[in-house]
Amino acid sequence: MKNLCLATFAAAVVLCSTVARADDIPDRPEKLSFAPLKYEPPVADEFRVQLKTGPVAYLVPDHERPLINLTLYVRTGSYLEPVGKEGLAELCGWLLSHGGAGTNTADQLEERLAFLAANLGTSIGDTEGTVSLNLLSKDLDEGFGILRDVLYAPRFQEDKITLRKSQILQEMKQRNDESPAIEGREAGFLSRGENFFENRYSTSNSLAGITQRDLVKFHFNYFQPKNFVVGISGDFNRADMIARLEKLFASGPMPSMALNGVEKTIPNLIPTNCTFTAPGVYLVNKPEVDQGRVTMMLPGIKRDSPDYFAGLIMNHILGGGGFSSRLMGRVRSDEGLAYSVFSRFPGGVYYPGIISIGFQSKSRTVAYAAALCVEELKRIAAAPVTDKEMNIAQQAFINTFPQKFATKSAVADVFAGDEFTGRHAGDPAFWKNFRDHIKAVTKDDVQRVAKKYLVAENLVVLVVGNQEEILLGHPEHPAKLKELLGGKFTELPLRDPLTMVPLR
Amino acid sequence: MIEQKFSQMKMLAVALLVVSVSNLHAQRLPVLETNLSNGMKVLLAERHDEPSVAGGWVAHVGSANERPGITGIAHLFEHMMFKGTPTIGTTDAAKDFEILAEQEKIRDAMREEEATMRSQIRSGKIDDMMKPENWTPRYRELKTQFAALVDAERKVLVKNEFDNIYTANGASGMNAFTMQDMTAYFCTVPANKIELWMWMESGRIFKPVFREFYSERDVVFEERRMRLESTPMGVPMETFNAMFWEALPYSWDTLGWPSDVSTISKAQADNFYATFYAPQNLTLILVGDFNAAETIPKLEKYFGRIPRGTNNAPDLVTLEPKQTVEKRMNAEVDANPQVEIYYHTVPFGHKDSYALEILAQILSTHTGRLYKGLVLGGGIANDVGAAQYSMKWAGFFDVSGEAATGHSPAEVEHAIYAEIEKLQHAEVPAEELQKVKNNFAAGEYRKLNSNMGILHQLIWNEGEGDWSEINDANAKLQAVTAADVKRVANEYFQKENRAVATFTRKAKTEADKSNAK
Repeated sequence: MKNLCLATFAAAVVLCSTVARADDIPDRPEKLSFAPLKYEPPVADEFRVQLKTGPVAYLVPDHERPLINLTLYVRTGSYLEPVGKEGLAELCGWLLSHGGAGTNTADQLEERLAFLAANLGTSIGDTEGTVSLNLLSKDLDEGFGILRDVLYAPRFQEDKITLRKSQILQEMKQRNDESPAIEGREAGFLSRGENFFENRYSTSNSLAGITQRDLVKFHFNYFQPKNFVVGISGDFNRADMIARLEKLFASGPMPSMALNGVEKTIPNLIPTNCTFTAPGVYLVNKPEVDQGRVTMMLPGIKRDSPDYFAGLIMNHILGGGGFSSRLMGRVRSDEGLAYSVFSRFPGGVYYPGIISIGFQSKSRTVAYAAALCVEELKRIAAAPVTDKEMNIAQQAFINTFPQKFATKSAVADVFAGDEFTGRHAGDPAFWKNFRDHIKAVTKDDVQRVAKKYLVAENLVVLVVGNQEEILLGHPEHPAKLKELLGGKFTELPLRDPLTMVPLR
Repeated sequence: MIEQKFSQMKMLAVALLVVSVSNLHAQRLPVLETNLSNGMKVLLAERHDEPSVAGGWVAHVGSANERPGITGIAHLFEHMMFKGTPTIGTTDAAKDFEILAEQEKIRDAMREEEATMRSQIRSGKIDDMMKPENWTPRYRELKTQFAALVDAERKVLVKNEFDNIYTANGASGMNAFTMQDMTAYFCTVPANKIELWMWMESGRIFKPVFREFYSERDVVFEERRMRLESTPMGVPMETFNAMFWEALPYSWDTLGWPSDVSTISKAQADNFYATFYAPQNLTLILVGDFNAAETIPKLEKYFGRIPRGTNNAPDLVTLEPKQTVEKRMNAEVDANPQVEIYYHTVPFGHKDSYALEILAQILSTHTGRLYKGLVLGGGIANDVGAAQYSMKWAGFFDVSGEAATGHSPAEVEHAIYAEIEKLQHAEVPAEELQKVKNNFAAGEYRKLNSNMGILHQLIWNEGEGDWSEINDANAKLQAVTAADVKRVANEYFQKENRAVATFTRKAKTEADKSNAK
């Protein structure tokens, strides 16, 4: 451990010469005055390095603590899984750090990392892989040696494959236990279609069919330096770290990894074949819970849409702005119908996002709360928002903007993420102009995007809960769930947790 | 009088240690501690990394300070603290108070009807007061009258104004939580808005107004449904917890019993405020980009105006009696087969808590003994865990494991005991102990990550008993010996000191049946 010099001294606290008096406190916060806050976001190019070995890296030195924090983004994902091998990407991601690497067996590797108090994490999601390493800067040499092994010489030990498969199978059995899990899964099927890659789930069969060879091949195809983007922050010197990174990525993957018939391939394009289902109410019966979970959905936009900023403001006012939002005021504060109620208007990176409203309410008031949400959705499209609402939403985005870059690791992660997803190349001044774009949104813009995207006739509403109680409704409120969207109502079956085949 | 306050404060402040700004590698978090004239404690940690301040305060009260009948009140109260003050949240404070008083009259009458309905439950005439069909005609009529008063109040209400002010001023992460031992409120504000934070927080501590009390009570009940009633393990674990704690008021969940949550009155909340939200029962904490010397007089101005409470909050006198027989619970649930074992141990700051923390790490993590023994070695378990929970009034050690396919919770339970017995009979090897200590040492740096992260650690340590553990705990952990670990393993991990819950899956689908062995 770094030898620390802890210099402490007693300091006399100098008190202000003018005595503050409680009776000076104004009755309203508007009467307080604040010094202006000058803030300019960091500029990506000041941290960006194109490494000779291929990856782009963002280096953000930070000597406050003797730690180094690295995140490596990899162009891979479950969208690249061969049909019938669903679960391969997830399994591969886990085994990189838990299946042995280089000369170390899995147990040796984990034991050594634990002794160094180093945190190594690896995972592969839908459209990216991540490898993260957080360690004490004194252990950098050894840590990067291990990291190189993990990236280029993973062992995918058979015993660890068996172990992880059995753990995943156990998790699979729980697919119908919690209503949020059912809700999330069925929302995906309804909003993206059964054939979209996000909705291809692993099954007991697909898992059983994954071999060590599949893992080796999948890893070898995508864990190539040209597929990496690096974000690194912490206790290092820039020039020294560049040299270390070049060494880390040099001449990999290791030749021993080359297998017959495996060729370096460029990642396939990320699929965009989403299909949005027919409007209506869809219900999954979960009789053992006393609270229904509701997700209302509409097709949305990509983040490079010209409507993106107006969408941010509109969503903040509708249900994205926490207690300041209309949905929270109506459904929670006024009526006490839900603990959580919100809307989302995400800008998709590769394909359009899904606009959604979500809440949970006791079975008997699900229909009433849903009716209130539909009413609010229609209202924001039908009439302009108020000046006060506009001001709160715009000020919120502008004043919380510095939080985006609150830590050095956040700076590295934001820029590495932008590099990975193409924003740095496509819109390099995104952060510089962010606040101006927010300021430029008008009330007309807000109503225009609301009208354009919040089309009540297209709503798909998913409900998971106790069907009998939910359909019964509440005597104090006339709303009935079956009538929410003009009588379009479908019961959805649960799926077998191990095969994902609907249970009829 | 104000002068006198300040001289008092200066004396306290002068004696404090401040770490040099040039010393960037300090692992200790430099915290300046002082007290305001009304007894409110203040903790200040300057960090000038980015232009924001994470501000929070801890009320030294939680569900452990409740009693049967008002369980859940500490948490409901936390929700009410966002409803405003005489000047925030209403356009006409006088009218608002008038309506609130009328609302309470209706509620008094409703409470009489609720008593009637409870007696109907006891005599078997109705089953559930939640069902609208079971409400008495008088209760329905009163509900209608109450709804009319809610509508009347809305005319003078400024909806969620407290939140709107913060939001428009760039505050983020505004929230609060309630635990057994503490209630905490926090948010991050831009560095130039620190005075707004003082205005807002001192305002609501000084004169909170509990508007929309009864709709918020419904919200809290929805939170209970979401967190406990509609999750497979929520209510079973609530039951297990109630079985484990015999005398201490840790036996109920912070969310309260359903009957209590739905009957708490505004008068009870007022009384709770007077007892537990007096300045001498609160600690203010600021972490971030500010100057402590300039900030202290402002804190005195805003928070010092709140009069000290007449009485101190009552001490919790109950001590958990020594358990003398093992307790067991068997449950069928919609979850994988698993076992949960609780041992009574020690509270926060107890001399044995450090050895127990070390012991928990020796047992847990992927290179720990349980994972090696039960998951990798025997293949009996799918996942395992161990943790020491040192709370303010008592503590417990939790060991758990989920059975692998083809194995039972009983097998997992016995394999856990076998690992514990090894620790009782032989000292942990030096290298294994050092590995665990290395992780605590590295954690000393990792914990200093962000203003909000540091604020939360100060909140938690202060709420459990003493903020300075954030700096002092590591040295005590590093001092733990292999002999200490062996000693606490023998002292606390005894059969008659534990409660065990085994969970098996309710068979439902074909897949479940074929997998239930």
